[in-house]
Amino acid sequence: MSISPGLYLHVPFCSAICPYCDFAVTTGGEKRRERFTRSLIREIARDHGPWKAFDTVYLGGGTPSGLGDERLGRILEAVREALTIGDGATSAVVSIEANPEDVTEASARVWSRLGIDRLSLGVQSFDAAELKFLGRRHDPVEARRAVEIGLGAGFVVSMDLIYGLPHQSPESWQSNLEIAVDLEPHHVSCYQLTVERGTPFAKQSRQGDWAEPDDDSLAEFLYLTHEFLGAAGYPAYEVSNFARAPETQCAHNRKYWEGASYLGLGPSAHSFDGRSRWWNQRSEAVWQLKVEAGRSPEAGRERLSDRELALERLMLGLRTPTGVDLGALGLDPSDLLAANRELFERFTRENLLRIDGDRLIPSLDGMARADALARSIEF
Amino acid sequence: MKNIRNFCIIAHIDHGKSTLADRLIQRCGGVAEREFRDQILDSMDIERERGITIKSNTISLDYRAKDGIEYQLNLIDTPGHVDFSHEVRRSLMSCEGALLVVDAAQGVEAQTLANLYLALEYDLEIVPVVNKIDLPSADVDGVLEEIQEDLGLDPFDAVQCSAKKGIGIDEVLEAVVTKLPPPKGDPEAPLQALIFDAQYDMYRGVVLLVRVKEGTIRTGQKARLMHTAKDYVIEEVGLRRIERVKRKSLEAGDVGYVIAGIKAVREIAIGDTITDSERPAAEALAGYKEAKPVVFSSMYPISSDDYPDLTKALDKLALNDAALTFEKDSSVALGFGFRCGFLGLLHLEVVQERLQREYGLSLLLSAPSVRYRMELVDGTEVSIDNPALYPDPTHIEQAYEPYIKASILMPERYIGAVMELCRDRRGEQTTFSYLAVGRVELTSELPLAEVLFDFYDRLKSLTQGYGSFDYEVLDRRPTDLVKVDILVNDEPVDALSQLVHRDKARGRALHYCERLADTIPRQQFKIKIQGVIGGKVIARSTINPYRKDVTAKCYGGDITRKRKLLEKQKAGKKKMMVVGSVEIPQSAFIAVLKSDAGS
Repeated sequence: MSISPGLYLHVPFCSAICPYCDFAVTTGGEKRRERFTRSLIREIARDHGPWKAFDTVYLGGGTPSGLGDERLGRILEAVREALTIGDGATSAVVSIEANPEDVTEASARVWSRLGIDRLSLGVQSFDAAELKFLGRRHDPVEARRAVEIGLGAGFVVSMDLIYGLPHQSPESWQSNLEIAVDLEPHHVSCYQLTVERGTPFAKQSRQGDWAEPDDDSLAEFLYLTHEFLGAAGYPAYEVSNFARAPETQCAHNRKYWEGASYLGLGPSAHSFDGRSRWWNQRSEAVWQLKVEAGRSPEAGRERLSDRELALERLMLGLRTPTGVDLGALGLDPSDLLAANRELFERFTRENLLRIDGDRLIPSLDGMARADALARSIEF
Repeated sequence: MKNIRNFCIIAHIDHGKSTLADRLIQRCGGVAEREFRDQILDSMDIERERGITIKSNTISLDYRAKDGIEYQLNLIDTPGHVDFSHEVRRSLMSCEGALLVVDAAQGVEAQTLANLYLALEYDLEIVPVVNKIDLPSADVDGVLEEIQEDLGLDPFDAVQCSAKKGIGIDEVLEAVVTKLPPPKGDPEAPLQALIFDAQYDMYRGVVLLVRVKEGTIRTGQKARLMHTAKDYVIEEVGLRRIERVKRKSLEAGDVGYVIAGIKAVREIAIGDTITDSERPAAEALAGYKEAKPVVFSSMYPISSDDYPDLTKALDKLALNDAALTFEKDSSVALGFGFRCGFLGLLHLEVVQERLQREYGLSLLLSAPSVRYRMELVDGTEVSIDNPALYPDPTHIEQAYEPYIKASILMPERYIGAVMELCRDRRGEQTTFSYLAVGRVELTSELPLAEVLFDFYDRLKSLTQGYGSFDYEVLDRRPTDLVKVDILVNDEPVDALSQLVHRDKARGRALHYCERLADTIPRQQFKIKIQGVIGGKVIARSTINPYRKDVTAKCYGGDITRKRKLLEKQKAGKKKMMVVGSVEIPQSAFIAVLKSDAGS
């Protein structure tokens, strides 16, 4: 586990809003993007107290790749001016989320020069009909080319894929995975399509335009994903994340799953210092007004109790094959094991997890039921 | 006294009883126009919504007849449903006559007949009223013929009206004055006043509705309730208009109210006789009959925090509903609750609905049961209405279950289907007779338990709504009873246990197993649901485990949201019943038990 915190920068702009997305996103013209950039630079330059050095930087969104290379440059320059990136010995991993249509030989060269070394590509699918359904603006050819350009330019390349689309067959999902591994990226994230409240998909699904696959099919997709990618040399290091090698795992996202600290800047960005979590105004306009007035754009904050911290550790740890260190929960591991003896016996019997010293290590079956396991454990 | 008429209106449901009452009240100026609302005598929301009368009520009306004389008409409104027949009886005892309303389009129905027989039992003078003559489908001649043929009443006495349109209302009132007799009685005789119902008033306590048969009842008088042998001082007497109108006294022949510092309806017995403490009547009036509950069910608050509220609500409800019985009960699966006794399924529904509506409680009711009598091998006898108390079967010599006599009226063409239904429900002595061409009355002696389980719904659907149903409780007969338990992963769910006839056990158990399989969400392991008698499995179903329960996306720093969702689910889990390590949501109990009540 890395000791230094991660830095997250949220860029809320997209050229169009995908019908499944419930993140803090907006379309918006050049003027707004320019004003946003200036505000973000201002927020970066604020006094962040003890937050000085970071070993990961993650540009997420939204679509940071669509903000414009010049603006990205100014933002990263501001980061380097105000904060320490990397610890001197090793340089930080700087990631950017990019849409395939934004990836060109030219932009790749610029991003490389800006010190960005990891591309997270919103591929989602290699099937034209599926891409259309998802409201994406690229086609399968652009998706492949983006991966190839990224790899050619020396980036660590990751791609996001979505499964569990209505009418998607396991075969069609598998062919997506086949194309993905044929391109030999370093990393793949596979997310189940989740219909979030308030999105166009929620409405369509409610109206009966289409139905989400049932639980059994979704389970089948999940198992297929793990088996296929595992066999292809991409073992899972989190229930939805697969990497060819430990070095190409997403170091920044691991901070979220491992309870490390992170500072989030930009609208809706969350920060966590190991005890408290706080988050910025979700609305870009409100966030901006606060920043421009020289005030903190913080919208809310919570101090986690020991129990809340422990629940998060369990909930997140059980999503990973390394599991949870019960000794790191702030609770007495033997008490916890005693209180849940029967439960753990059943989980062990059913091969959902095994207990290795003070560590709970979930099997794939266990990871697939991580939420249920976390709910069941009493402490 | 000769200018008083005490009468009631009796009818099959939906034949227009309440509407006719409304019109009579309006015609007599019993209520100011601006205060008028439909079904004015039905004060409870549930009565108004369902168009039924649950509590008796009475209103005194002034009517100047064509003979120029001012009459005092006391209209006594009676419940129409069989569950409340004891209330009907007492209301009838307070009258000299009855208007028997028959729908001009529907004709004579089961309750028309049942109510007529009841009225004749109490020697009431009957005036038939053919209502709804304005309907295009009205067949007045046909109905007059039925009145003669089926009811044995003189069709020339019948008054035709449309209460809805206000046609023939004067004729109805004239018939009340001319055809119904005035009351008899001696105001100087020892007091005998029949309590035919009671209402609870928040400020005054119990308000008795009485019919004075003999003597006079006065404010300040010391009076005794003959059955309970308790003495009270009469605080107030008077007539019931829409509001109470105080009088100094009520005399023989009068119908009115009495307030005597009584705290709860439970304290008194409806049907009791009020007499003078110092000069008591020789004997009480006939009429006291304990309202015995025949249907039993346990009520549990869905949130156990509501238990004290449920206790309070039942106490309050009982102030006004002497027929409702309840005692503490508890279930391993559902926690603390009450075992309640009801007069019938409608009464059960009414109580449940009032608790939910008037007291804001969410309740879960166990499967309704009748009361069985068991002769044990040691020679003792026990009554059991709660499956939890079912004795060891080897200790039972013989079990007995209550039977009813059902009377079903319907067009001839449905007879085959309905006879089949009665046979399926273990009906005995099922016979039928023709009431008129094309119309039959079927009678069958059925176990009450079989009627509780969606009998009425089945009847309605088999006869496409044309069948009508009425019943009276007969006796208890030997039965072959078994206790069916429902096991979830080998653990019994006590709230779902039930006593059933052996022939019905498998079907019922299967129904429960399937319902549970449909409503219990999948869990981490396979769930086995079984219906058993003793150790023997007679029905089963399974719920396959889910294979996946994990949020897909968990990146971005907003872990708080995910944790809160999980905390919420964890809290929801705590509220679920856990049986055999299986979490059973309330909704599963509701789905299973609801289908039982036939709703």
